[in-house]
Amino acid sequence: MSSAETAAGPARAAAGTAGPLESPLKPRLMRIVEAWDETPDVRSLRLQPVDDGPPVRWLPGQFGEFSVFGAGEAVFTMANSPSRGEFVECGFRALGKVTWALRDLAVGQVIGYRGPYGNSFPVDSWRGKDLVFIGGGIGTVALRAPLQWVLDHRGDFGEIVVLNGARSVADLCYQKEMPAWAEVPGVHVVRTVDPGGETPGWDGEVGLLPAVFERLGLAPGGRIVVTCGPPVMLHYLFQSLEKLKFPPEDVVTTLENKMKCGLGLCGRCNVGRLFVCVDGPVFTWARMQTLPRDY
Amino acid sequence: MGTPSAGQIHRLGRDQLASWVDALLGERKRVFAPVLRRGLRVLRAVERAQDVDFAPGRTRWSPKEFLFPRTETLFSYENRDGVPVLADPPADDVPRILFGVQPCDAAGLVRLDSILLQDPFYARRRELTTVVAIACSEAAPECFCTAVGGSPAGQEGVDVLLAPLETGWVVRALSPKGEALLAPRRGGWETAAAGDWEAALEQAGRVAGSIGRRELPAAWAEKLEQSFADPIWDELARRCVGCSICAYVCPSCSCFDVADEGSDACGSRCRTWDSCSFRLFTQHGSGHNPRATQPARSRQRVLHKFAFYPLQHGGRAMCVGCGRCIRSCPVGMDIHAEVVEVMSGRPEKEAGDVQR
Repeated sequence: MSSAETAAGPARAAAGTAGPLESPLKPRLMRIVEAWDETPDVRSLRLQPVDDGPPVRWLPGQFGEFSVFGAGEAVFTMANSPSRGEFVECGFRALGKVTWALRDLAVGQVIGYRGPYGNSFPVDSWRGKDLVFIGGGIGTVALRAPLQWVLDHRGDFGEIVVLNGARSVADLCYQKEMPAWAEVPGVHVVRTVDPGGETPGWDGEVGLLPAVFERLGLAPGGRIVVTCGPPVMLHYLFQSLEKLKFPPEDVVTTLENKMKCGLGLCGRCNVGRLFVCVDGPVFTWARMQTLPRDY
Repeated sequence: MGTPSAGQIHRLGRDQLASWVDALLGERKRVFAPVLRRGLRVLRAVERAQDVDFAPGRTRWSPKEFLFPRTETLFSYENRDGVPVLADPPADDVPRILFGVQPCDAAGLVRLDSILLQDPFYARRRELTTVVAIACSEAAPECFCTAVGGSPAGQEGVDVLLAPLETGWVVRALSPKGEALLAPRRGGWETAAAGDWEAALEQAGRVAGSIGRRELPAAWAEKLEQSFADPIWDELARRCVGCSICAYVCPSCSCFDVADEGSDACGSRCRTWDSCSFRLFTQHGSGHNPRATQPARSRQRVLHKFAFYPLQHGGRAMCVGCGRCIRSCPVGMDIHAEVVEVMSGRPEKEAGDVQR
């Protein structure tokens, strides 16, 4: 019974006829089967349903609501490709109440998951094209699912460049996995850290990510740019892309507005006529330019 | 007295209205109606008709809380040997009646429907709810239903409309739900005299005529949408203190938060009213906030209601002109005047200066 109705007078108690309802916000229980640190504050989890129900399904770029009971829910994109979908993986930075609680959990503990929500990366439209993945910091987590998808369907795509950057060497995600990405034929992985973030012996690039991208000398020519990173990085990356004359339709990114419900109801991810949780989170740069600057 | 039939309009004496309420309560229906509570006119579940305040005028809060509670449990959880066990909230299937709400508030429920009917908890309550509205016999200075397509005798979202006559009431069912509510009573009620209904509408027309605020046409939505980057918003919303009372009293604001109440051992996940005027509504974990300033947040409230929502919902504003936000604002913000000023570039004379 809701709090607003507990004051009800004599009308209470008529026997229920239709039985309890289940909220669409009620999560499925998932067990942590593996957990590891990507960086000092970014952690990855591998999850499996506690129940014997159908496997979790999603498309690259879709997200879920992950919850710690007692702390609440947080939105993460599924970090692995459905082509490696025997588990659900997510990666997150410990920043708030939920992510700190999630970070404290150990293998074997149970959390909540609901999803998948939102649209997905248009991987089918990338067939036959050259691709550049540009991830900044935690943003690279959102690119891992489409990247894995592309690597798992390698023959369908052209040349692949992965530009993975962070503030410092310690903050660079997926350092253990990058060598395997680079081993795939036709895949070129570039690692970069901001000036001052390098360590002795660092053999990657040094420079702000948009500048490093420009130095790569990649021409547009039908090449698709898939990018995710902090707003300030995207701001300067878009300037670089404009300078290099990349068509906005060929640049794909995700909006990271705060979300709660994932169903277009709770209102907080509203940007103009759209809700990021149902109309996004994947947007082309062209479509972003039609939106009010509310992201 | 003619043979009672569906669609018939009735005339009720004052006592008959009260005995109708008592009869509904006797049928174990839950009746929410205006009552005076510590000097405030509020909607509450009533236990007897004599507690109901049938005087004209808005209630402090809209009726939305009876369909979309301020806080509601979505499920509860309990940690049993390391595995959380989730339980759905108990079913509440008592039919309920919103009795004596204003027509604007009934229209507000239709706005909520467009968002929240997708939610089964809301949808079940909505299905169980019959709306009996009273046509307004006066308008407050903040009222502007007529500016957004409503009327003091508005029928949108209304199942049964009551309208005051010189003596007593005229009552008419406007929907199958309303018919069902009236059907058991018709035998005992007098048929309205010729002209009673028209007299009631005429009265509502006079009330409409007393509302001095200009229409906010649906055709403004696109131009309002384009005002997003207009510096006028900084000017207009400089006063806003971000208290969000506007959203809390609003019959159509539907935004909510989802949060856990309890510990890791047991508790519940709750949905709670929220507001776009709060800084934390959109602030990312990283600290980045797309709406970092109060004017940006204030603009969102106005543009969502008068531009973004109407452009996605057939031109209807997500505002029914009840005027509660204007009445309640501690700094005299006036959403109607804001829209007019953005469109005309000139301050409305009543902006922040409503006679109270």
